[in-house]
Amino acid sequence: MRVNPDPTPTILAALATTQQAEETALQQMATGRRVNKPSDDPAASAVLVENHDASSRDDQYLQSLAGVQAQMQNADQALNSVVTALQRAITLGVQGNNGTMSDANRASVVQELQGIQQQLMSTANLTFQGQFVFAGTATQTQPFVADSNSPSGVRYAGNGNTNQVAIGKGFNIQVNLPGSQLFTAPGNDMFQSINDLITSLQSGSSADAAIASVRKSFDYVTAQRVFYGNAMAQMDSQQNYLNNEKLGLSSQEDSIAGADMATVVSSLTTSMTARTATLSAIGQISQVDLFDYLR
Amino acid sequence: MSGLFGTMSTALSALQAEQGALEATTNNVANANTPGFSRQRAIMVESDPVVQGSLSFGTGVSLQLQSLRDPILELRLNQETQQQGQLDAQVSAMQQIETMFSSDSGDLGSLMTSFFNSVDQLSTDPSSMPLRQGVLTAAGNMANGFRNTARNLQQQQSNIDLNVGQTVDQVNVLTKQIADLNGEISGMQNLSEDPSTFLDQRTNLIRQLSQLVDVAVVQSDNSIAVTTSAGTALVEGQQSFNLSTQLSNTGVQEVMAQGADITSKISAGKLGGLIQVRDQTIPSILGQLDTLAGGLSTALNAANRSGSDLTGTAGGALFTAPPASGTGAAADMTLLITDPSLLAASSDGTPGSNGNLAKFTAVSTQTIASGQTPTDYYANLVFQIGSDVSNGTAESDASNLILQQLQDQRASLSGVSLDEEAANLVRYQQSYSAAARVVSTLNDLLDTAVNLGKD
Repeated sequence: MRVNPDPTPTILAALATTQQAEETALQQMATGRRVNKPSDDPAASAVLVENHDASSRDDQYLQSLAGVQAQMQNADQALNSVVTALQRAITLGVQGNNGTMSDANRASVVQELQGIQQQLMSTANLTFQGQFVFAGTATQTQPFVADSNSPSGVRYAGNGNTNQVAIGKGFNIQVNLPGSQLFTAPGNDMFQSINDLITSLQSGSSADAAIASVRKSFDYVTAQRVFYGNAMAQMDSQQNYLNNEKLGLSSQEDSIAGADMATVVSSLTTSMTARTATLSAIGQISQVDLFDYLR
Repeated sequence: MSGLFGTMSTALSALQAEQGALEATTNNVANANTPGFSRQRAIMVESDPVVQGSLSFGTGVSLQLQSLRDPILELRLNQETQQQGQLDAQVSAMQQIETMFSSDSGDLGSLMTSFFNSVDQLSTDPSSMPLRQGVLTAAGNMANGFRNTARNLQQQQSNIDLNVGQTVDQVNVLTKQIADLNGEISGMQNLSEDPSTFLDQRTNLIRQLSQLVDVAVVQSDNSIAVTTSAGTALVEGQQSFNLSTQLSNTGVQEVMAQGADITSKISAGKLGGLIQVRDQTIPSILGQLDTLAGGLSTALNAANRSGSDLTGTAGGALFTAPPASGTGAAADMTLLITDPSLLAASSDGTPGSNGNLAKFTAVSTQTIASGQTPTDYYANLVFQIGSDVSNGTAESDASNLILQQLQDQRASLSGVSLDEEAANLVRYQQSYSAAARVVSTLNDLLDTAVNLGKD
C-alpha cells in the first residue's frame, strides 16, 4: 500500500497534543492543583464547591466563636466579682450582726455594705463594646436603675430574652443570660438581700434572716456561673472540632483537586521529551528526496 | 508496414505521450502542497495496430491521465468534518462559559457562602453598624454575582447569534460557488473534457461547507445535488438555494430555507453546534441560575420580613421579588436596601436581639431550589457545565483523530510523493530522449531514402 507521502499534518497534530500536555502539566505545577476549571474533573469540581463552602463556613464559625468567647469571658468575670462581693457582704453581715459591736463600728460596716451595693449595681450594668451585657436583648438600655419605689431600691429595665449564635452546622449556643434571671430572680434577688441586710443592721435588729438571704443569693449567682462555664467548655471542644474538620476538609481538597507533583513532573518531562523529539523529526524529515540526487 | 513516415508518426506519438506525462508530473510537483489536490497519473495506452497480412504493427502510444480520488473516502471525510465542526463550535463556546463557574474567590458559590458568613458574624453583635454593612455588602455582591453571570451568559448567547448569521452567509457563498462549479464540470463533461481540477475544487468547497453545516451529497450523472441532512436543498445542478435568517420572537436569528424555519433541523457542522449552545445549553444554564436566584431571593425576603430592623420596625424585602415565571430572576437580582439599619436581625424588636438572623442562615440548609440547598444546587450546575465541556472535548479529540486518520488515508491515495514524481521524471525523460533518438535515426533513414540514386 502506498503510504501518505506528506507526514506533516500528522506530525503537527502530534506536536499540538504534546504541547497541550505540556501546558496542562505546567499549569498544574504552577497552581499546585489538578482541577483548575470544572471540565478538568466535573465530579471533583462539584465536591470542591461543597468543600469550599464547608471550609469557609467553619472559618466563620471559628470567628464567631472567638467573638462569643470574649463576650462570655467578660460576663463570667463580672459574675466572679459579684460572687466575691456577696461573700464579703456575708462576712460583713456576720460581723455587724454580733451584739458586742459598737455602733460606730456597725456604721462603718453598713458603709462598706453600701459600697458593695454600689459595686454590684455597676457590675450588673456592665457594658461590652458599648452594649449592656446583662440587659437581655435590650442591650442599648441600662438594665439596672436605682428606683426608690422598688423594695430593693433597684428596678430592672432590660428584658428576659436571650441570643443564640451558630458555632457549627446546626449547633447554636446561647450567649447571654438576662440580668433579671441572674440578679433579680424572685426569691434570689441580690439587691433585695443586700438592701435588707443594710436595713437590719441600721435598725439594730437581728440580721440573721438577711444574712441567710444574702447567702442564698451568693449560692444562686454561683450556680448561674455554671452556664458560662458549660458554654466555655462547649466552645473549647467545638473549636477543636472545627479545627479538625477544617484540616479534614483541606486534606480532602488536596486529595481531590491537588496535583501530585511527582506525576506532574514526570508527565511534564515526558511531554517535553516527546515535543523535542517531534520537533527535531520535523526538522529532518523530507529534507532529502530523489530530486536531490538528479543531475 | 506503414513506411518510414508511418514509423515517424509512431515516434512522434511517443514524443507527445512522454511530453504529456512530463507535464502531468510537473503539475503534480507544482501542486504538491495544494490542499485537496488529487495527483494525476499518466497512463500509456498502445495505439491500434495496423494489420498487414499476418503481421500486426503497433502504431505508437497515446496518453491518458487519471486523477486518483476515492469518492467514498471523501464522503466519510465530509461526515467527520461536520461532526468536528459541531463539536469545535460547542466546546469553544462552552469553554468561555465554564470560566464563570471556576472555583475561585469570585464565583457564585463563594459569594453565597460569604453572605451567610456575614450574617453569622452579625449574629455575634447584632446592633453593630459595620457588621450590618458587611451583610449588605455581601448581599449586594451575591446579587451582582448572579446578575453578572446571567448577563455574561446572555451576552455570550447574542455573540453566538451573531456568529449564526455570519455562518449562514458563509454557507451561501459556498453553495453559490459549488453551483457554479457544477456548471463548469457538466459543461466540460459534455465536451468529453477532463474536469479534474474543478472536481478537486468542488470537493474542497463541499469539505468547507461540511465544516459549517450538515450536508448530504447526491451524485447524479454530470453534477451533484447538496442538501442538508434533513433534506433541505442547498445546491441542485447549477442552481444554489440561499439560506437566510429571520429574527424570532425570542430575539434570536432563525435559519430559514425558502420560507421554512429549519433551525432545529440543523444537527451538525459549526452552525449545528452554535445553535445547540445558543438554544439549549445557555438557556438551560440561565434557567438553573434563575431557579437558584429566585429561590434565594424569595427565602431571604421572607426571612427579612419576619424580623424587625434596628428601629423596631418590621423588615421589608431584601432583594427584588423574582418574576412569577422565574425567567430573569438571576439577571434582575438586585439588593433593595442600602441602609444597614433596615436589616431585620431582631426577633423581639430590640436592637440587641439576633433571633431573626437564624432565619437567614437557615436558608443555606433549606431546599429552596428544586428540592436542593443553594450550595448543592450550585455544585450540581458546576458539575453539569464541567461534564458538558469535558465530554465535548473528549468527543472532539476522538473526532479529530478519526479525521486525521481519514486525511492520512486520502493523502496516501491522492497526495503527491516527490520521490515518485522524481522517478517518473527520469523515466519519462529517458523515454523522451529515446523517442527523439528514434526520430533522428528515422530522419537519417529518410535522408538516405530521399538521396537514393543520386550521384
